[in-house]
This record gives sequence, structure tokens and C-alpha cells, in this order.
Amino acid sequence: MPARALHPFFSTRGWQPFDFQKDTWDAYLAGKSGLLHAPTGLGKTLAVYLGPLAECSGSHCQVLWLTPLRALAADTLRALREPLAVLAPHCEAEARTGDTPAALRARLRKKLPHTLVTTPESLSLMLTHADFSEKLAGLRCVIVDEWHELLGTKRGVQTELCLARLRAWFPQLRIWGLSATLGNLTEARHALLGNSFSGSVEITAAIDKPLVIETLIPKEIDRFPWSGHIGTRLASQVADEIEKANVTLVFTNTRSQTEIWFQELLAIRPRWKDRLAMHHGSLDRSERDHAENGLRDGSLKCVIATSSLDLGVDFSPVDQVIQIGSPKGVARLLQRAGRSGHRPGSVSRIVGVPTHALELVEFAAARDAALARNVESRTPLRMPLDLLVQHLVTCAIGTPFEPAAMRREIQSSHAFAELTDAEWQWSLGFISNGGAVLAKYPNYHKARLEDGRYTVDDKRLIMQHRLSIGTISSDPAVSIKFVNGHTLGTVEESFIARLRPGSSLIFAGRQLTLVRFHQRTATVKAAARAGKGQVAIWGGSKMPLSTELSHAIARRLHGHGEPSLEMEAVEPILAIQRKWSRLPADDSLLVEHVRSREGEHLFFYPFAGRLVHEGLAALVAFRISRESGEAIHTTQNDYGFSLTAKRALVLDEEKLRSHLSAENLLDDLVSCMNTAELARRQFREIARISGLILQTPPGRKDRSQREVQASASLLFEVLDRYDPDNLLLVQSRREILEKQLELTRLTTAIRRLQAAPMHLVETANLTPMAFPLWADRLSASHSPGDAATRLEAMLRALNVAADSIRQAPATKLMAES
Amino acid sequence: MNPFPEHPSISLLPEGAVFLSDSATLVVADVHLGKSAAFRAQGLPVPEGDTARDLQRLLDLARKCRAAQLVVAGDLFHAPSGITPLLDAALADFIAELGLPVTLVVGNHDVKLKHIPSQIRAVASHDLGESIRIIHDPAHATGGRMHFSGHWHPVVRIPDGRRTSLRLPCFLYRSHTLVLPAFGSFTGGAILSPAPDDRVFVALREEVVELPAEMMG
Repeated sequence: MPARALHPFFSTRGWQPFDFQKDTWDAYLAGKSGLLHAPTGLGKTLAVYLGPLAECSGSHCQVLWLTPLRALAADTLRALREPLAVLAPHCEAEARTGDTPAALRARLRKKLPHTLVTTPESLSLMLTHADFSEKLAGLRCVIVDEWHELLGTKRGVQTELCLARLRAWFPQLRIWGLSATLGNLTEARHALLGNSFSGSVEITAAIDKPLVIETLIPKEIDRFPWSGHIGTRLASQVADEIEKANVTLVFTNTRSQTEIWFQELLAIRPRWKDRLAMHHGSLDRSERDHAENGLRDGSLKCVIATSSLDLGVDFSPVDQVIQIGSPKGVARLLQRAGRSGHRPGSVSRIVGVPTHALELVEFAAARDAALARNVESRTPLRMPLDLLVQHLVTCAIGTPFEPAAMRREIQSSHAFAELTDAEWQWSLGFISNGGAVLAKYPNYHKARLEDGRYTVDDKRLIMQHRLSIGTISSDPAVSIKFVNGHTLGTVEESFIARLRPGSSLIFAGRQLTLVRFHQRTATVKAAARAGKGQVAIWGGSKMPLSTELSHAIARRLHGHGEPSLEMEAVEPILAIQRKWSRLPADDSLLVEHVRSREGEHLFFYPFAGRLVHEGLAALVAFRISRESGEAIHTTQNDYGFSLTAKRALVLDEEKLRSHLSAENLLDDLVSCMNTAELARRQFREIARISGLILQTPPGRKDRSQREVQASASLLFEVLDRYDPDNLLLVQSRREILEKQLELTRLTTAIRRLQAAPMHLVETANLTPMAFPLWADRLSASHSPGDAATRLEAMLRALNVAADSIRQAPATKLMAES
Repeated sequence: MNPFPEHPSISLLPEGAVFLSDSATLVVADVHLGKSAAFRAQGLPVPEGDTARDLQRLLDLARKCRAAQLVVAGDLFHAPSGITPLLDAALADFIAELGLPVTLVVGNHDVKLKHIPSQIRAVASHDLGESIRIIHDPAHATGGRMHFSGHWHPVVRIPDGRRTSLRLPCFLYRSHTLVLPAFGSFTGGAILSPAPDDRVFVALREEVVELPAEMMG
């Protein structure tokens, strides 16, 4: 069927296909794979799906549709069934995810539908079934939805490995990815297609959806805070904006902020009680469904959410998006803005709400970058061996594999293209007899080598492995339940452990009283009277400002860009900064020095995002204290970092340059960041993926499994002691540096700073840029030492405190006499 | 360190053991021999090493304090699947080299074994004179005397007033029972929730110190 034959599907609806849709159909029907890049709400689904429908023959499985979120599966299915009913009425589409009911799952085990919607985890799981390749015989196309969300994550690599398997089975397979705007679309296509990249196409919808980015300007800028991140000061203005629109989606940056803003808006507009909902990742599914359904049918006025609602779900009634606090990145702002006006031809509108003065600059800068489509890249992951060993066991369970062929298949993926002999041999060892050094793993075996093929046939091991497929880490959490058993969601144990029965807390938008906390369940009841409670807080690092947005901010600070209300409003504060010091830039380094009662402070503004600043602060503090012996406290934010010490912080260019030097960078970072401890934490995820930690099936307690449970940190210690060359340890060290400090970005920043001119300014007062760093209570202190040294220091401190209490009355008496 | 004036012969050792000078008895708890082998038997690649190391530490300790007998307050072994010929041999060598009577107060893990090696005397509890009884599970303590036990693998969490905290294995003294830290290297710990009259002791370099109550947040 030529592509033209698809047009009737459009014309009967009075639609005109866009050029990018026609281009995609033609490319697909010419046998090509590719990546389609188009904004949401423009008909991407029809562009990639109608091609496969045009060549539909028979009703066997021909299309696999991968979605990153199982919550999206139902919406996707709805969108696919519509053209399917018209163009191939004899065919079916079904979804197979973790949520699929057992009966449907059993039916799908027997026969797969024409189109199967699934997730990377479920696809992996299906690879463990011996007859899966036969069931898929006739597969023509795999479509990966929201590829930008998977790219750069371990789930993305899991997808790459599954695709490599499918390509090996069906060499003619066409693979299409759908992606939002990315700075590295070609690399994204390469990661998706692996060695089938050549000859593939990239199609861009050359239609820019109209986008409006506005900012709420505080009425009195001189009273507006210079720092902070809760920023409910503009809440009543926000309520007015919500009033004006039909349905508003309010995005915050953290789950706690969601809870706080929900309470705040409810206090301002009590009558919205039943039309206001919230959505974040720690809420129970039923709570989230309530918010999602309310957005879909327009029965809610407003939903306050975190990134949990960034993705795909089609909320047509939403006509306004509000972003509370820094947008952090350009792609993120565009993605969130795209949640409104989710129809071809309508306008996406987002209103920024600054929580402190400098965020006004951020919104102006984000608009500059968004309109120029200057968006962030996502770097694909390379060589996560934990996933490789998991995938090898998955494959061995499904069909015994011959190592040379399997290695070719693995190397056909982008992530493992450069797999070395040593890494490959180690991985085979890990899944079979424990590794090259056999003596360390007596009596261990998982996969067996039989007639030159690796196979896993122990029933119990197979069941264990199926349970552990999937890479999303689920850390143990405490669930919050009402006395009647209704579950609200989960919080971290460290939060609930601080509360006592009878204390009040705020969670899921409700004011609650803790009844009891027992065995990972906190039982609560509705608070008898309204009052202040502790808002649930969650750990997890805050997302850093992206390089692209930092650069746009630096440009704005230096007067680039169209005149804007934001810059006009923030001008009085920038004027103070200019007068007392100067405005920082990203092509030079500003360092300020101030004396206060606490001692001396140095403020650096490299504009490299908070994680990089955390690393730089630790590095410089470590190098200075190595010379001076002084304890140094550090703080950081997205613009810069500060050092505080009693003495010996001097404004000397030569010294500062030596402290910021790239020499010995990795060694010094490892010494100052306590990477051993951090790597141990990162190891939890790696241990779970690689099958070192067993997953217990939900709701079932296997007593025999209790004997083989150990914490990740204990396993880390054992491996470190007896098998220090284990490549999983190496991987966890590498991952932690990248995750905690953005090592690649930090290295780039250090190189940039080396070449950049330095401006040193002695200031009498804390400048507007310095103040937030000074006011940050979450300072870290750098006085490295082992557990014994730390314990001694704490005991000493306690003694000093006790002495001063004992001596106080005496001092007073002496003063009186 | 001797924290109990009414029992002058008791010392808490920084290695995580108790020594009684009057009967020259060395007491340890929760060694969990063969734990990594039990993991490997279930298809989890955990390297071997702790068995030899833990037995050597125990041997060194017994020699250092010139013990006349060794009592294990339960869970000398981890699981039946961890009892390999390798472990049997290592244990036989250990007992021969130690040359002391070894008593095992059978713990909840030991009880699953088909048999306890014959060189070890297995008992339900062990009395040291009138005033001290060694058991495995602190819940089985009976009034009227002091008990030594294991089972809990106690770990104390000490917040440092900033964002981090120290987690250290400890001795816990609660309602006349002294709970020993786990001796085995491949054993986890349970962070204890402090009760009002608890006394907590941790190893600090070459000695054992009692933690002031204010330190346990």
C-alpha cells in the first residue's frame, strides 16, 4: 500500500497530514529505521504507526510499541486502537506491562496481538520465555516512545540490549524512536539503533508550536527574598492566575514543595477543596489516578505536581502550566510547557513563579534559550556491566546462547560497542562460575556451559531472576495508611522516625496525626483540628541547573537579550551587586572575599550547576585545609560555592589558581569526597541489577530467602576485601563520581576556569549573589577522618559543652562579686 | 573495660567479645560461619574469605587473653547450605589449634543444622557460676541474674549534629542482659532504638568506651 493510501484516514476526519508525517510513512515503507523528533500534541503517533499499518498482513504480532512509563500504556493503547480499527479492523492491540491482569497476561502468553504495547522491563521478561522468538516471527517494527526519557538511563541501556536481541532475530526489523527536542539528536538516534545506524533517517517536524513563557513579577522587589526555595510569597498572585484559566497544572521541583504549595493554595482558596489535587511519585496509585483522571476530564481546577507528570499523558483540558521555582533546564521547561495546549494548533503557555530574586533572571534566560531551541543534550550511558550480566542471564534462560554470537549481538548496541575482551570474559565468568579467580567462588554456578552454549535451567534461579528483572531501584520506604487500611503513599523512614505518636504531619495534601509506626507501616488518622504539622520531606539530590541555562543566565546578567519585565524588576538588586562587587560571568571567574564575625569567607561563581559546585567546594576546601590545617565549611548553589574558615582564606590569584588546578584532580576528589562511602551507597542499585541482592516477591515471605539477605554495603565490603578487582566495584566508583559530582562536567569546568581571567573583589558586605550561599544552613564541613577520629571529636565536643554548662554559674558569680 | 562493679571479672573487649577473668572464659556471639557459601549455593556470587579470617581472629583473641574455654552465644553457623567440606576442614583445624573446650549455646541459625560437629558441646544455655547465664536470644532471659546474649547484632547510630551519622557495632546492656555485637565479618547489624535505661558500649581504638546517653539521638 503506498503512503497515499493512508490519506483517507485523515481526509474522512477533515485533517491534512503534515509533511513530517508523510516523510515518516515514506521512509518507513522504504524499509528505513529512524528517529522522529516533534513537539507533543502534533500527531507523532500517527506518523510512526500508520506506516506499519499500511503493510499489515494477517493478524500475527507485527508491531512492538515500547513506552517508558506503564502509566502511559493505557493512553497509548487508546491512541493506537483508533487508526487500527479503521485501517486493519481484523487486528488487535493490547498492552503487557507490570499492571496487566493475570488473565490477559495468560492470554498474551498464548498468542500475541498485532500490536503489543509494553515497557523495557516487560520486554526483558518476555525474552526469558523460550518460545518468544517464534511468537514474534513476522515482527516488522519496534517503536520506542519518549526515547529522550530513556536515553542516558539504565533503562535506556536495557532497551538497547533488548533491541539488539530483536535485531539479531529479525535482521529486517525497522526501529523508530520518538523524541522531544534534545541537543544531541544524532547521538540519540545512534544509541537507539546501534550498528544499524547507517542508512537510518532523522525526521524533524518543522512546525514550532506557539509557546508563551511569562513570569509572575513580585510587586515589591526590594522586599523580595534574595534566597530560599519554598517562596510561597507569591501564592496569592498564583491563585489569581489559576482563577483566570480553566485547568492549571502547577509544577514544583520537589515533593515537599508540592505538599507545601497545596496547603498554601487551599488556605487562600478554601472553596477549591474538592477541585484541587496533587501528584507526586510517593503518592499511592489511587491518589495519582484521582489527579490524572481529574485532569483528563477537566473536573479539577488545578493539580500540583512534580516531574511525575512531566511525561506523555494527554491532558487536553489543561490550558495553563505554572512552574514554581527554577526551571533548571531548557528541555524541562519546554516539556512542562507542552503539557498545556495539547492539541495541534493550540498554544502552550507556561507562567514562571520565582521563589527568590535571581530566579527572575533564570526565567528570562530560559525563555531566550527555549525560543532559540538551545536545549540540553542527554549523554547515553556506556558499559553498565550490571545490566550486561543481568541481560546475559535473561538471554540464557530464554534460549541457550553461543558466546561468540552473543558477543557480536551485545557489541551491536551503542552502549557496549567498545566492550573489551577482559570485560566480556569477566561478565561470562560472573554469570557462570563467579569469575576468573575460581578459588574465590567455590561451589558457585548460575549459568552452565553445555555443548558450547550458556544455559540456565535451575527452576529456582529462573524464578529469582524473573523477579529481579527491571532496573528501577525501589528503596525500602515506609507506607502511610489510614486506620481503615486505605493507603496514601510512602515516605522515607528517616522522616517518620523523628515523629512520635500524636504528632501531626502533612502528606498527600492532608493534615494527619500519627497513630503508630510499626514494621514499615505508619498508621495515621485525619488531624482533629487544623494546625501546623511537619511537611514530609524526601532525600535525594536536587537537580542541578543545566549548562545551557547557566550560559543563558550569564548572558542575561551581562545585558544580552530583549528587554524584559523580569530584568527590569530585578535591576535594583543587580545594581547593588554591580556597586558592591561586579556581576559574575561564565567566561571569567569572580571571587569575592568578606570578613564577618564567623571569620573569613570566599565566594566563587563558576556557573556550573550545584553538583559541580559541591565537588569544586570540597576540592578547594580540601586543598586549602591541607596547607593551612584549618577546618573549612562549604556551601553551594547553582551559581557558585562558598568557603568559610576562621582564618587563612586569602584573595591571592596565584594561590586560588593552584587550588583550582586540574592536577591530581581525581585523586584529590576521591580523598575529599569520601567516595568509598558514596560508592557503597551507589552499589545498592548495581547489586540489585546484577542479581547480588534477591528481590522478594511482593506479599510473599520466603523463609529460605532470609538466609541469603545482606545489605548492599555489606556485600560491597566483602567484595572489596576478597575480590577487589570485581568490575562491579569499579563501575560503582565510576557511577558515583558521575552521579554525585557530574565528573565530566566538573572536568570541563576546571579546564574552562584555568583559561578564564579571574576577578578578585574585596567586599565590605555580603553581596546579593553571596547572601544565599552564606544563608544556606546545609553547610558541609571538611574535617576528614575515620570513624574513630570522628567519634573522638564528638566525645570531645560533648565534654566541652558539658564543661561550659558546669562552669557557667561560676563565671556568673565571679562577675557579680 | 569493666563497666559492672558488682561483676569485677567481666571485661568488654574491643574485638567485640567478653572475657571473664575468674574462669578465663571468652564469650563471642553470632559468628555466622559459612554465610557466603550459603549465598553461593543460592546462585549469588559472593566471594569466599570470611570463614578463614573470622576463625583466625577468634584464635588470635583466645591466645591474647589466655582463655581456658570458649563459649559462643549462638549462631556459630549460618545455614545448612553453608556447611561445606571446606568449612568442616577449616573448623577442625581451628579447634585442634585452639586446644580449648568449645561450648555452643544453640542459636536460631544453628538449630537448622542436621548435626553440630562433635568437637563442640551444644547446649541450650550455659551458666558461669551462680550469677551469669549465657543464652542466644535476649527474649529468653529470666530474672534474678545477669545474662549474656547475642541474636540482635546491635548497632548504635550516633548523629554528628550535621547531616551524617556514625553507625557502630556495640554492646548493649538492657534489663540485666548484655547483648554482644556480632563477631562474624559478613554479618549485618540492626540499629537499636534506645530505651531509657540502656547502656551502650563501643570499641574506640584499643579500648571499649561507654557512650554518654546524649550521643544517641
